[in-house]
Amino acid sequence: MSEDPDSDAAGGGRDIAVPMELYKSITVFSTLFAVVFVLLAFVMFDAATLDRSFVRGLVQDAFGAVGLGVGGQPLTIAFALVGFAFLTTGSGIYIVGSRFRAEEMGNAKNEADET
Amino acid sequence: MSLERKDEHDHKGWMQERDLTPVESIYLTVLMWLDKRLRIVDYLEILENLYYKVNMQMPKSHTEQYNLDNKFWYWYPLYALGSFSTIAYVVAAVSGALLGFYYSPAAAGASGSPTVAYEQITFIMTDLNLGFFLRSLHRWSAQVMVAAVFLHMLRVYFTGAYKEPRELNWIIGIVLISLTMVFGYTGYLLPWDQLAFWAGQIGVEMALSVPVAGEWAAQLVFGGFTLTQSTLQRMYILHVFFLPFIATTVIAIHIGIVWMQGIAEPH
Repeated sequence: MSEDPDSDAAGGGRDIAVPMELYKSITVFSTLFAVVFVLLAFVMFDAATLDRSFVRGLVQDAFGAVGLGVGGQPLTIAFALVGFAFLTTGSGIYIVGSRFRAEEMGNAKNEADET
Repeated sequence: MSLERKDEHDHKGWMQERDLTPVESIYLTVLMWLDKRLRIVDYLEILENLYYKVNMQMPKSHTEQYNLDNKFWYWYPLYALGSFSTIAYVVAAVSGALLGFYYSPAAAGASGSPTVAYEQITFIMTDLNLGFFLRSLHRWSAQVMVAAVFLHMLRVYFTGAYKEPRELNWIIGIVLISLTMVFGYTGYLLPWDQLAFWAGQIGVEMALSVPVAGEWAAQLVFGGFTLTQSTLQRMYILHVFFLPFIATTVIAIHIGIVWMQGIAEPH
């Protein structure tokens, strides 16, 4: 792998050069998804900790409508876990997106085809 | 606006050439799938293109033409104060119109109990849904308007923007700052609490201290030499009927003249 011009172990992480067009889609969509997931995570944390949370009320009503009484404690734990899952997913999307760069960008000296 | 398809880049072939981990190839495949369908990037590029084209067509301002931006940039926020006052005025107008549904300017009240006006304020602040918010919004926008109008005047003065051919608008501005303060004073009296009452008393005495015309002015504005129902009634009608029409008209003229003359750029 260290011989591959696409991967750059010296910089600490992988570094993959992609065409500019693809780089743009990666940047736009990964940022979009990362932001949405982090926001959703905060909504879930609210639902876990706030009694007046809209989402919490909605879920409680939904369970009540099908005849399932759900206690406060399990609901809190579930919301918290989902929140952490969303937060990790959002960060993950952003982190994976950050390893791509356009062909024109970055360290030219590490690129075999440009030396 | 329709988007023309660009020449297709062979993503699949390109991906096979590369040495990608499974996570990376799934990641890229998903994003490319989304990009092909939602095309957000293309629309962002249209916006970017539009931004540059619009900027190319704008005439150069004085400061750009003579390359003075590097010296004058710190003035620019102060050039927003006029708009800021106008926005505060609009916010106060809208929130005030809504407050008008609940307030009534009656100084009467059973002996020993608060006046109707004060009780309505209490109702707005404690019982009415979003009433606290509405009254706070009205009060804060009024405060902001007075402050912004005053700072706007300082900016105009210290940049010399009042000079020929803008003297007329400067005079109109002085009328407007006076109207703003009368707006503030009449509104301040409307709760008809202790603060309002004694502020009204000060107003009457200030009017009476004026030679010759003082008594006439006190009669006209306060409806007598002591504070009564007619004082509150006059303050109310000044605040919600007279001043809104006058101030809105004068503001329109003020902004219209700025529009015709263009803003006074720094030299």
